[in-house]
Amino acid sequence: MAEPLTVALPKGRLADDALALLARAGYAVPANGENGRRLVLDGADGRLRFIMVKPADVPVFVEYGAADVGIAGLDVLREAGRDVYEPLRLPFGYCRLVVAGRSDRPDLPLRLERSPRIATKFPRLTEAFFRKRGIAAELIIMSGSVELAPLVGLADLIVDLVQTGATLRENGLVELRTILESQAVLIANRASYRLAAAKVRALIDALASAVQRATD
Amino acid sequence: MPDRTSSMDRPLPEGVRDLLFADTAAFRRMEAALQATWSAWGYREIHLPTFEYADTLATDVGSQVDAELYRFFDRHGRTLALRPDMTIPTARVVGTRLYDQPMPLRLAYTGSVFRYEAPRAGRQHEFSQAGIELIGAPGTVADAEVVALAAAALQAAGLPEFRITLGHVGFFRGLLAGLALPERMTARLQSAVARKSEVELSLLLAEMPGLPPVARQAVLTLPRLSGGAGVLAAAEAVCLNATMMRALADLRSLAELLDGYGVSSFVTYDLAEVRDLGYYTGITFEGFAPGLGFGLISGGRYDTLIGHFGPASPAVGWALTLDRLLLARESQGMIEGEPRPDVLLGGLAGAAGAAALGWAAAARERGLKVEVDPLGLEAEALWRAAAARGIARAVYAAAGGLLEVRDAHAAEWRATPHGSWEEVASWRSL
Repeated sequence: MAEPLTVALPKGRLADDALALLARAGYAVPANGENGRRLVLDGADGRLRFIMVKPADVPVFVEYGAADVGIAGLDVLREAGRDVYEPLRLPFGYCRLVVAGRSDRPDLPLRLERSPRIATKFPRLTEAFFRKRGIAAELIIMSGSVELAPLVGLADLIVDLVQTGATLRENGLVELRTILESQAVLIANRASYRLAAAKVRALIDALASAVQRATD
Repeated sequence: MPDRTSSMDRPLPEGVRDLLFADTAAFRRMEAALQATWSAWGYREIHLPTFEYADTLATDVGSQVDAELYRFFDRHGRTLALRPDMTIPTARVVGTRLYDQPMPLRLAYTGSVFRYEAPRAGRQHEFSQAGIELIGAPGTVADAEVVALAAAALQAAGLPEFRITLGHVGFFRGLLAGLALPERMTARLQSAVARKSEVELSLLLAEMPGLPPVARQAVLTLPRLSGGAGVLAAAEAVCLNATMMRALADLRSLAELLDGYGVSSFVTYDLAEVRDLGYYTGITFEGFAPGLGFGLISGGRYDTLIGHFGPASPAVGWALTLDRLLLARESQGMIEGEPRPDVLLGGLAGAAGAAALGWAAAARERGLKVEVDPLGLEAEALWRAAAARGIARAVYAAAGGLLEVRDAHAAEWRATPHGSWEEVASWRSL
């Protein structure tokens, strides 16, 4: 039996969508019930092995070749800035990375802000966005509850992921700018792309046609 | 003994590392194997300075190198930089000092290079490179020699399994020329190709409805032009112009030559590898090994670099990262132990000491590693010390000038074979 390809999947909803797509593409995937505590799961047909990791870690596993391929959000991928191939965009995990502020904030263009204090889980993308516009932002790097920061005076603005915008609205925040439109991305290790070329190619093609079938 | 916590007061700067015994020995062995290989192919080694003027090193080699330079000032306030690779200093030496020597020149080097890049897979800010450059020879015969030498070097350095992926910048350059896109689109196309983003390529094409079908096909096919020799045939169908055809012709003749060198089984192709597009002028290649997610050797043809320093001269070469070669070997099960002495020699305090030292000199001459005990240990303590350190034998100079030996095979001391060096020579480890 040939070695299976190792696929890094982000724990959570993205993994469920990813597994469903892989199943539609003809790969044996672990049943939903198995997606519990085990971190390494084998596909029954021996073609894929799945490792379940934190979403932000998927690009790292793939860059180092600990996983041959992975499925990550574009937001996480761009934030990580890792050197991987990214052959496909996949039709799930849609969200936006936005700049948001309090709805009662004075109507002032961002570029006229002095040195806004910005709370975010995405420091690289936030820094790059504001620096490109000549704004020296003061970043407050958080690991959760970013929406809280402007409400209690910790930050002037936030940069965070939004799906529907409901959470923002409930907290009296409004979207000011979109930094990135995100969705799931198939990524591949540069060495695996060569050393396991046939298997990686087959996976890309199978996923691409599964996506194609779904949109037709 | 210093306090255990004292190391907290002497942190290492970011990006550098010490190599201890086993690793240093492995580095030396890899270097020796590489040197033996390239010297057998006629390459001569040069030694390059660790730092030079920053503008020499940043000459037109792209903003990436520039951003990664370690810069500092000399006493006159001029900006110096640590070498970020060995190719640029080599090009300077050739351009300024060796330009009128009979060509081709075959040069080789090993040494540390320095880059502000995030540490990844054995590469700190300072890491060790070994490489070769073949200067003054255009054409695929020179290209093939360099690629075949890369394969020979990796094998000699003890890496059983690896792949070398060949490309040619002419293919993508020709495609860009054929597409004649606005600059912004070119940048987006190159970025999408670099990430092998098949989806982005389709999206880009959707924005360019005026493009002829053959050009669309060429763009869409790009990410698939990666794999075995069949790639070259597939690529032929999407050639838009003579530049692309020439690149393919180069690769085909290279493939034949590599067959002759007997290294075809290590070679794959990728015509959509567009890194360092501004630096290389012909073939490019990168080597990968199972178990290491990163490339460990890279190279290509750069016919314009030497012209920055003197009369222009074609050149092709490669550099490999020794730290990554070591990691790749380890992940393929090539783990070498620490070198240890073959003999621990003691009992030197008495009258027999002089004879023992004479024996040590004779044994060393025969290639044994003999360590002398400076602590004055008694015979039993000497054996325990040897055993604790993984030294296979203890030799003790007993009273009366008799040398006795003890090893793990017997529980007692016996007389060292005298006069017969045959057995003693067999104690030599490799």
